[in-house]
Amino acid sequence: MQETPINYLPILIQCVFAAAFVALMLFLSAIVGPKRHSGIKDANFECGIQSYGNARIPFSVKYFIVAILFVLFDVEVIFLYPWAVNFRELGFIGLWKMLLFMGTLLIGFFYIIKKKALDWE
Amino acid sequence: MKTLTYTSLLGIFCMLAEILNLRKFIIPIALVALCVIGGLTYCDLNVHFEPFFSDMLRVDNFSTSFSLLLIVIAILLIALSYDFYTAQKDKISDYISIIIFTLCGALALVSFSNMTMFFIGLEVMSISFYILAGTNKREVRSNEAAMKYFLMGSFASGILLMGITLIYGASGSFNLATIAVYASGQNPDITFYIGIILVLVALLFKVSAVPFHFWAPDVYEGSPMLITALMATLGKVASFAAFYKLFAVCFVDAGSHFKLVIAIVVALTILVGNLSAIRQDSFKRMLAFSGVTNAGFMLFAILLPNENGGSALFFYAVAYALSSIAAFAIAIAVSKFSGSEKFDAFKGLAHKHPFSAILLTFAMISIAGIPPFAGFFAKYFILSSAIKGGYFWLAVFAIINSVVAFYYYFKVIIMMFSKPENEDSFSPNFVYITVASIAVLITIIAGFAPGVFFIH
Repeated sequence: MQETPINYLPILIQCVFAAAFVALMLFLSAIVGPKRHSGIKDANFECGIQSYGNARIPFSVKYFIVAILFVLFDVEVIFLYPWAVNFRELGFIGLWKMLLFMGTLLIGFFYIIKKKALDWE
Repeated sequence: MKTLTYTSLLGIFCMLAEILNLRKFIIPIALVALCVIGGLTYCDLNVHFEPFFSDMLRVDNFSTSFSLLLIVIAILLIALSYDFYTAQKDKISDYISIIIFTLCGALALVSFSNMTMFFIGLEVMSISFYILAGTNKREVRSNEAAMKYFLMGSFASGILLMGITLIYGASGSFNLATIAVYASGQNPDITFYIGIILVLVALLFKVSAVPFHFWAPDVYEGSPMLITALMATLGKVASFAAFYKLFAVCFVDAGSHFKLVIAIVVALTILVGNLSAIRQDSFKRMLAFSGVTNAGFMLFAILLPNENGGSALFFYAVAYALSSIAAFAIAIAVSKFSGSEKFDAFKGLAHKHPFSAILLTFAMISIAGIPPFAGFFAKYFILSSAIKGGYFWLAVFAIINSVVAFYYYFKVIIMMFSKPENEDSFSPNFVYITVASIAVLITIIAGFAPGVFFIH
């Protein structure tokens, strides 16, 4: 197939569609949706609890560390699924490679536990 | 391959060493282990290896030579760090292990044969640098350096990824050999050229070439001095090895369309680096701009992809890296003593401690490019092959600029040999002197026997 810019037209059309869809939905919800104004409903963070104070305050870094570590060790599970599905085909080599991978992760886990990253007190 | 594996294992060991109550032994163990790894790497010279990990890594003389240089740089800098973090004793294992992981990234960068490995190597190295730039936690400028480097480096990585994607889209492979075949074939696709441009931009950023150099002075100045030395030597050498591998070995024919662009970048880099360095009053910032200028000289090697290009680049890297390490070693000792990184801090050093003044003078003379030091021959090889390659105007321009550069290299020498303001006695720790001596010794050996450092 000859590579010319015209071949990328579908991508352009898709971009236009995506933008148009968002614009349309915003427009529709602005027209069709019901509008009820009140002091609480127009608050910046309306979720049932009265907001107070400033949002720009120091917060515990520990929560942040736990969140980051959760992402790290959660994503790793993604690699386990394809391995588990292809367990038989990959055989022992696959098992060893997975053990190596998990071992490396376990070293990291050992490290953060010893560094007391998960200690909340 | 075994170099990379053992270095990674050493990094993991250093990370865990603190938990095993081995904090005192981390630096000696790391040094000994790196020496052993260096010895094993030396044995790989002139041995033919099959590609490793389904052609992810290829070990040849080019990669082995650069690996050896990187390991030597790492050994010297880790030796320097023995008391660098005395204020933060509990951080020493993290710090050393991150330096070793930086080395891992750099080793991957000199021996990759697949675009994914190239990206992984570059990221392992860059992310380690982002962390290291901010290791001086209480210092605002260190934080600023880390943040700036992180943001700009991430953009560069994004551009690089986009470039790799386009190259993959055009050639259908991440493998360097396949891409090289595609690049030398009939009419590569236009997206292939766009991909090369994006990769070029990202690599020019990583080696801090003009016009992508703006991060370098700020980051170099804000980071702790030892980290500056690491970025200016290890980071630059590894990036240049990867640069050479991609543009002089892989994209050869397709890349030749960008010769003029690279030639202009070389000229601009040398000129802007020089003019900015002249105006600095901080030694560290001067070295940062001198690094920019030297990046311009090393870029010559990318212009001349021939048999000698790799050797010329390697020789220049040896000369530049070791002279810089010697300069940084003395500068760290001086700034520790006087608490200042300005030129004034060096005033009267020749009277207070003549030997370190002589070492720094040798280092400066070597970077400036005066015989018999390696710096002269490095410039000579690069420029003579540039003239052979038809870049006469560029070579003349570079020579004029290296004469201008004498001004700022000699500024510190004149400072050292002028009369001291006070009579404080200055006695640097023997480690600084030893490291600087070893580095200067290697540049002298390289100056007298350049053939030893050629890649065959």
